[in-house]
Amino acid sequence: MIELSQISKSFGRHQVLQNISLHVNTGEVVVILGPSGSGKTTLLRCINYLEKPGSGKIAVGDFQVDCSRARRGDILQLRRKTAMVFQQYNLFRHKTALENVMEALLVVKKLPVVEARRRSTELLEKVGLGNKLDAYPSRLSGGQQQRVGIARALALEPEVILFDEPTSALDPELVGEVLEVIRAIAKEGITMIVVTHEMGFARDVANRVVFMDGGVIVEEGTPDEVFQRPREERTKQFLRRITPEANYVI
Amino acid sequence: MQLDPSFIWTAFVQLLGAIPTTLSITVVSVGAGFLIGTVTALLRLYRIPVLSQIASAYVTFIRGTPMLTHLLLIYFGLPVLIDALAVQLGWSFRSVSIPMIGFAYISFSITAGAYMSEVVRAGIQAVDRGQLEAAQSVGMTSFQSLRRIVFPQALAAALPNLANSVIGMLHGSTLAFAVSVVDINAQAQIVASTNWKFFEAYLAAALIFWGLTVLIERIAALIERRVGAYNRGGVA
Amino acid sequence: MGAPFDIGYIFSFLPKLLETLGVTLLIVAGSLLTGLVAGFLVALPRMYKIPVLRTLSGIYLSFFRGTPILIQLFLFYYGLPEMLKLVGLDLTRAPVMFFVILTYGLHTGAYAAEMIRASVEAVDRGQVEAAYAAGMTPYQAFSRIVLPQALGIAVPVFSNLVIALLKDTSLAFTLGVMEMTGKAQTLGTLTQHFIETYIALALIYLAISFTLERLLLAAEHRLTRHEIRERSGGATWFNLKRRSTYRSLLHNLPDVDTGKGGRI
Repeated sequence: MIELSQISKSFGRHQVLQNISLHVNTGEVVVILGPSGSGKTTLLRCINYLEKPGSGKIAVGDFQVDCSRARRGDILQLRRKTAMVFQQYNLFRHKTALENVMEALLVVKKLPVVEARRRSTELLEKVGLGNKLDAYPSRLSGGQQQRVGIARALALEPEVILFDEPTSALDPELVGEVLEVIRAIAKEGITMIVVTHEMGFARDVANRVVFMDGGVIVEEGTPDEVFQRPREERTKQFLRRITPEANYVI
Repeated sequence: MQLDPSFIWTAFVQLLGAIPTTLSITVVSVGAGFLIGTVTALLRLYRIPVLSQIASAYVTFIRGTPMLTHLLLIYFGLPVLIDALAVQLGWSFRSVSIPMIGFAYISFSITAGAYMSEVVRAGIQAVDRGQLEAAQSVGMTSFQSLRRIVFPQALAAALPNLANSVIGMLHGSTLAFAVSVVDINAQAQIVASTNWKFFEAYLAAALIFWGLTVLIERIAALIERRVGAYNRGGVA
Repeated sequence: MGAPFDIGYIFSFLPKLLETLGVTLLIVAGSLLTGLVAGFLVALPRMYKIPVLRTLSGIYLSFFRGTPILIQLFLFYYGLPEMLKLVGLDLTRAPVMFFVILTYGLHTGAYAAEMIRASVEAVDRGQVEAAYAAGMTPYQAFSRIVLPQALGIAVPVFSNLVIALLKDTSLAFTLGVMEMTGKAQTLGTLTQHFIETYIALALIYLAISFTLERLLLAAEHRLTRHEIRERSGGATWFNLKRRSTYRSLLHNLPDVDTGKGGRI
């Protein structure tokens, strides 16, 4: 369970997030939509403190942090309960696919090497990269790199995985393979918060869609509610601008 | 030996007279070095047979050995070479008529040439290949596209390295003492030993070099801003 | 000028000069160690933007990069004992080698500081974020993710730095240290075969530079084995700098041997 309450954040005088509250149940897949500059990525990055929220409270499972007085130890704890998949993959460049997945298991979870290797191999096989264990990121396609990134996130067995536009940097023909993997792990009941522009994916996989604009949550609901019967004018405008293109896969 | 702050100023004034010598060595070696460097770089970039290997050997040798050895080799070797040639070819010119500073000019130009060749080469390689293709696509000759399109952009890209090279040669000019040329450093030595105030004299010399270096950096930054005007904006 | 040229002297001078190779290498090693420590201390306040210390670092960098090493040698040799006398320390009987290594060390430190800062900053910010997101501590993220990558980036610059230092040591004789160049001068004066001595001297420097560059290139390849290397065809001479994608990718590193190398 994730509980965000009253999260605010400013860059200088510009307020990017205004008192955002969001509740995500265990096993739920929440997709955050919104135009660029709406604050959706910032919100996601606040959850694991890659951006420091100005104020508010973050609860992940039974662990709670008050952002106005978070200590180093709290931030570390929070990060160990979450995992993130980045837009630019951010695989550790000097480590192989296998080592990328193993790294946090060894350093953060302190697993023995044999155990870490076994689990990492399993996960890489699961994302279809059993034959690329020893490849460095520079030798992998964007889609493959992102699948390693997903395996790396899964390895931590986090309470929630945060996806920051996981397919935005990919060539169109590679988007499908990554979405396929995300869809598969969603079915396993892993809690996910996904920032994406893939409307088709949101419609199919999300339990709930959150529409953000101007640093606030404009409306939220099931995919059906938000896509078919949007209540707010801003949501309608956004959907009108996005849907005619229909360039999403699936 | 007591520290004498007022002597720093005295030494400073006495060193000023040697600045032109230092600057002339710097300017000559940078100027000639740039020409040598450009030719060397082009020979290597175009992989001209034989010549490009010679150019590579030259750059390798110079970069692998101290500047002082270049100077000493030229100082002792060049006269032998010239006099031998003169006898063979019946010239009336003899090596004794080469002024001391001439050896510094020649030797430092050779040194600078090797380093400049790297600077020029990196600059040219920094220019996008598409620029050359575009130039040729509108019908320019190789020479035209080099001169009008590639070089101006390469120069802009090479400016920071070029400034470093100039500073390098300014500092390197202190070696001229080895052939009895009285530059700032040698003058400091004279002022120091005649007054027995070493620290003060070298402090003054250091201040002059520091000032000159900062000046070169400022000028380079200024030019960079001018030349780089077309490059402004964008995220690249 | 001098005795007639005789190529045989070059070979007989080589072993004589090599007797003093140890002194040259001692200066290089000692200064490198001093320089890396100094460089690290100077780079830190600049990377972490610590006020006051950062300004002091800036002055240090500007001075040691803004004045010739030759002047620095004299300045420290003559000046340091006097300065320290003011605080009651007597250095007048310290060995010359102490001043030589200290000066070369501080000089190298200025370049090392810039190398360290640039290399660390060249590591993609996303690498640290990924490490943090996985729950690593700042220390873990630095030592396991940033440092190994920064090392790979730093090696080419380090290579230039070491070779420049080696060449700079040819000036230590001005303070009376009998290293290779000093020895060569003595041999030249003694035998009047100056050209042969200096050719022999140059050959030794060349051989050491070549070896150092090769070793460090091997180290770079090892440290950046995770990156695809595009072979620049035809370029086989050791000085023809390889254009690895790594460096062009991690833009803006001064990998051209210019200033420092050209500074003597």
